Amino acid sequence: MRDIQKLSDEQIVEIIRTKDKELFSEIIKRYEEKLLRYASYLLNDSEKAKDSVQNSFIKAYVNLNSFNSKFKFSSWIYRITHNEAINYINKNKNEKPFFENLEIESDENLEEEYSKNEIISMIKTCINQMPIMYKEPLTLYYLEDKSYLEISDILRIPVNTVGVRISRAKALMKKICLKKTK
Amino acid sequence: MSKKNQINIENEVMSQIKSGKISMKPKWYFMLGSTLMFGSVVVLTVVSIFLFNIALFSLKPHYGPGAGFRLEMMINSFPWWAPIIAITGIILAIWLLKKYDFSYRKNFPLIILSFILAVILGAILIDILGFNDYFAKRGPMRGFYRQIENQTNDNFRPGKGNGLRLRKYNQDTFEIDKNVPK
Repeated sequence: MRDIQKLSDEQIVEIIRTKDKELFSEIIKRYEEKLLRYASYLLNDSEKAKDSVQNSFIKAYVNLNSFNSKFKFSSWIYRITHNEAINYINKNKNEKPFFENLEIESDENLEEEYSKNEIISMIKTCINQMPIMYKEPLTLYYLEDKSYLEISDILRIPVNTVGVRISRAKALMKKICLKKTK
Repeated sequence: MSKKNQINIENEVMSQIKSGKISMKPKWYFMLGSTLMFGSVVVLTVVSIFLFNIALFSLKPHYGPGAGFRLEMMINSFPWWAPIIAITGIILAIWLLKKYDFSYRKNFPLIILSFILAVILGAILIDILGFNDYFAKRGPMRGFYRQIENQTNDNFRPGKGNGLRLRKYNQDTFEIDKNVPK
């Protein structure tokens, strides 16, 4: 038996595509929890998140031959989950507004005021009240440990925009969390 | 909760894969999609260059003195359908790239700018290199070019149009000849 744990995602995908499709279960094992957490933050509902993650895995498998092994598999599968969640939100738009044109100032000093763990706990408490355009980069950066470049790949926005959104998201989160604690 | 989900999602997805209920789309499907998309963009680019070039071609005989009047006449006789179709082509090409884009991060403003520049430069180059004159004299497009040339020249001929007759006032200007009965 191969030592599957040592293989990279991209190597596993290559084996699934050419030899052993049942190895897709390893991909599910590696990403299920992360994607469920990400989808739950986006959708604020664990059942809907579960459905969207299941659909994401099915879509990933069906379109596996379109994945380019030169790129990161994790960005690709996060992108599919992002699309699934956004499709769900768009279908149920009346449930929660997008706040697309919300004017929020940047906050570069949050890291100086709070430790990373404090920021993470703030995110977990207040994220549900944030608009999705700020929720996504913030979740990916602080909770999923993605780099700006990976977030740019997942959300298909320029790296600079990722930085701006994260900075604004921190300012907004601070406001929301402070309101909550008062 | 996550362990329970993991078992459910993994089982559900893998059972669909094993039973053949879902299957991977073959590689050729995506290659065909990419080729068609690339082909469409190339065709749209060529058509846009051609249409933009026709617009330039129809303006060509009217360079020179009498600029104010000629500009007005030019606007009246300008083949507006050509740039409208060209711009629609550009928008369609960008939409195609966005919708069926299987690849990763792309700098869309740069792509759009390059596309527009390519169309304008292509059209000007065809004009400068004299391909317009060549096409107007020979080749399968001769009739089409002649038609556009004649149509434009007719519109610019003094003494023609809307029951009014124009007469030359001096070297640079024309005026409406009021002495001529309608």
